[in-house]
Amino acid sequence: LGSHGSEMSVSKLPPAVLSFKQFLQRQKVLSLYRNMLRTIRQVPDDADRKYLRDWAREEFKRNKDATNQDDIRMMITQAQNHLGELRKTLALAGC
Amino acid sequence: MASLAHRFSYVARSSARLCYGSAVPRAACASIVSSRRALISCSQPTRWTKAVRVCSPTPGLCRKYGDLPPLTLQNIEDRVMYVLKLYDKISPDTLQTSSHFMKDLGLDSLDQVEIIMAMEDEFGFEIPDAEAEKLMTPAEVVQYIADKKDVYD
Repeated sequence: LGSHGSEMSVSKLPPAVLSFKQFLQRQKVLSLYRNMLRTIRQVPDDADRKYLRDWAREEFKRNKDATNQDDIRMMITQAQNHLGELRKTLALAGC
Repeated sequence: MASLAHRFSYVARSSARLCYGSAVPRAACASIVSSRRALISCSQPTRWTKAVRVCSPTPGLCRKYGDLPPLTLQNIEDRVMYVLKLYDKISPDTLQTSSHFMKDLGLDSLDQVEIIMAMEDEFGFEIPDAEAEKLMTPAEVVQYIADKKDVYD
């Protein structure tokens, strides 16, 4: 009975399903990406805007296969720093 | 008095001839002419009536609206599909209104975020995050926009 119980608890779900922590992290990354694109949209200069958008897209896509949670956490923090910096710069520029 | 009247009519006639080109100065001189005419008896009435008749049907006087054509479901769908076709990772041949962004078109969640942002740009309003995550096919996007913009037919 014990072995049967543990088998049940291992999972009925397919392996692709994320754990709760991973799911939360994924939501965080997606909302960060959305906020990033929204902020970049306010950049007044056309060329700068395009450059920043391509940069953000590339960075997110380059790391989209990362699985190590600590790595991901570090990258999220990094992206938040970048976003804060960009917002500060935009505020200083009066946008 | 007669010679004065004659001189006035001469000036008016020559100025009318001078500004024959555009409608606005013609109208201006016509008003001067008509005020003169009230003062002085005119020797050539046919000429004045003709001048007045030329500027009376004010051309190009119509109301112009700076708005887009009214949204219909078809209209929204066309615009959504147009935006999707412009997106570089979607091949226009495989695109259908019912195709799922991830399952059928092979996009990832980052692409889906970008598509929804492009829709925001196209239709000029913000889609909240919680709603944006659920929009997975062009048909759902069309339905969502139609609901938000109160379009029912």
